[in-house]
Amino acid sequence: MTYVLAFDAATEHVAIGIARIEGDARTTIATVDFSAPRAALGRLLPAVHESLEGAGLAPSDLSAVAVGRGPGSFTGVRIAVATAKGLAHGLGVPLAGLGTLDAVAGRFSDHVGLVGVVGDAMRGEVYPCLYRCADGRCERLDEYHVAKPIIAAQSWAASLTEPVLLAGNGLAKYAEVFEAALGDRCSIADEGLWTPSGDSVLDAAFAGHQEPSLAQALTDPASADPGLLLPVYTRLSDAEEDEAKRAGAVPSTGVAGPDGGA
Amino acid sequence: MELAHMAAALTIESASFNTPWTPGMFAEELAQDDRVWLVAIDAGELLGYGGIMLAPDGAHVMNIAVAASARRQGTARALMMALAREAAGRGARRMTLEVRATNTAALELYRGLGFDSLGVRPGYYDDTGEDAVIMWADVARLTAIAAAREGIDVILAIETSCDETAASVMRGGSETLSSVVATQVDFHARFGGVVPEIASRKHTEAIVGVVDEALEQAGLGFGDLDAVAVTYGPGLIGALVVGVAYAKGLSLATGLPLVGVNHLEGHIFANRLADPELTTPLIALVVSGGHTSLIHVPEWGEYHTLGSTLDDAAGEAFDKVAKLLGLGYPGGPAISRLAEQGDPAAIPFPRAMLHSGDYDFSLSGLKTAVLTYVRHEQAAGREIDIPNLAASFQAAVIDVQVAKAVRAAEEYGVRDFCLGGGVAANTALREALRVALAARGVRLSVPPFSLCTDNAAMIASAAHFRLRNGGFLGLDAEATASLPLG
Repeated sequence: MTYVLAFDAATEHVAIGIARIEGDARTTIATVDFSAPRAALGRLLPAVHESLEGAGLAPSDLSAVAVGRGPGSFTGVRIAVATAKGLAHGLGVPLAGLGTLDAVAGRFSDHVGLVGVVGDAMRGEVYPCLYRCADGRCERLDEYHVAKPIIAAQSWAASLTEPVLLAGNGLAKYAEVFEAALGDRCSIADEGLWTPSGDSVLDAAFAGHQEPSLAQALTDPASADPGLLLPVYTRLSDAEEDEAKRAGAVPSTGVAGPDGGA
Repeated sequence: MELAHMAAALTIESASFNTPWTPGMFAEELAQDDRVWLVAIDAGELLGYGGIMLAPDGAHVMNIAVAASARRQGTARALMMALAREAAGRGARRMTLEVRATNTAALELYRGLGFDSLGVRPGYYDDTGEDAVIMWADVARLTAIAAAREGIDVILAIETSCDETAASVMRGGSETLSSVVATQVDFHARFGGVVPEIASRKHTEAIVGVVDEALEQAGLGFGDLDAVAVTYGPGLIGALVVGVAYAKGLSLATGLPLVGVNHLEGHIFANRLADPELTTPLIALVVSGGHTSLIHVPEWGEYHTLGSTLDDAAGEAFDKVAKLLGLGYPGGPAISRLAEQGDPAAIPFPRAMLHSGDYDFSLSGLKTAVLTYVRHEQAAGREIDIPNLAASFQAAVIDVQVAKAVRAAEEYGVRDFCLGGGVAANTALREALRVALAARGVRLSVPPFSLCTDNAAMIASAAHFRLRNGGFLGLDAEATASLPLG
């Protein structure tokens, strides 16, 4: 019997899911999600522990771990990623990644049509990402990126010819910006669906939109070494952004070093 | 425990409890397969005994008692440790016991061993109607404490409080099996100081590789360890979070207990690692890019922070002045090199809080004085003598540090003084301190440079001492940017 654990803490919401895999069949055996603003470090791991115990499992029963790589709150993503690295490293199991925005879109797998996820990137910006949902799954149409809300909203307004369902914690601040740009083409999802759930983090981890996928980690553990997985930030640190602006260069997304590598 | 111990055991039993066990109860216990009973014997005399029952949820302590003449000598603790080892050897992960709610000495003993109160059985004791407190402990915690007390514990320590990702494996608090430091200094140099967001990102990238390297150099795996230790403050919060989150995940995955260490305590233990002769009581001065603290250590494990900087840390002041003068980062080495060629009395910079009567420091005023001086000279069209400026600035920093250090050493009557932290590499500071302290018969201890700057060996050494007294972090532990020491 194979058991896997997936979790995300990139928004101010923690989501945890545990699944059992037998052959091609996957059964969700534990899910929990809760709001934990500025409290993920203290609350994530006890909740993982409780979920495992509730499912009658020991940590050593896990064959792989998957974690939300973001984008989201930098600190939230790092708390989840560092926790997952410690778990996977200590267990000697592979570590897979999942996309945080994919796990938000996954809340609408029963929807048919476009879903626009607007993640809060703080500092007056959002992570906008479009999905096409049909047949119980949502396909991502964009690369993860960061944008000013008005720019993202106008871009969607200019390109979309069909209705779009909006979700994501960025709407708490910017729903009006998107409504103004998209008019009656957009509708806003229930706020309870703006963040990942235990089911949706498992779905996102298996969907394989964010390398390495859980399926890949299980079949080729060497490709999912816990030391290799990194957060997806989509932008540099402020210090590097400022430096790049002064130099007139276009920022990349890694941390550049003296030898140019990251 | 055997039937031959019975007579002596019954004497201790009836002297210890209002409703003592009967000979029949002992005989029944000893006959069962799922029980382990141990005795403490000194020179043929029975000092105490204890027994556990192995159940699916863990080892249940059935009884434990120590002769009145043998109490307060660690007998009960030793018995409990031996029972924990038996429990661990038989696959039990947890251990539980009940204790009278009014028995504060026992409650304190068990808490010190790593037991937590998880509930109460109201009116459990028939004789008095007292409540029983139900306590549980991780067997791994109990065995780790036992190993530390014997000096054979193997600890993996992790340090990410600033811009060094470090891991170390240490046996018995002093035998360094490995110490790996991945420095990020080159990534921060072009910004003239540590950029917290970059530090946090680099820790996340490096941590697994650094831990693997430390284990590999030690020739050990997770299964050979007794505990994991981590710095949980003070420091940059985003950087601390990475180490704490990783260490907690590791702890849950491996079942290894987690020990939290204060970073400043680590710097004091760096001295002890380098200088095993070092004895308490002592005064420690920790000076680095992030800290300037004067600490009284009456005995190992007990700390009283006498004072610290109210604004910039000493290393930070060096970095900021170096940036102002275009000398690059880190600023300490550049300024101290230039200072060697300059006149420390050339420019009368202020000695802030020299006569404040307390042990706090303030360095931001000095930095402003340097800036004002530079602008004034430039406005007057005079060329600045950089070596003189560096020497005068450095002297202003050192004078205050030395004056407060000497006063603390005198007030607390210590014979030993520890200097730690990255700024301890500053030769002028070392020499000034050494001379001033020697004149008062106080010995200065300065670790080698590799132990002055941030490393995890010092964290492992501090963790060993914490572990002996059962200081653990739970899975809900947080990182604390301004974690106080003492």
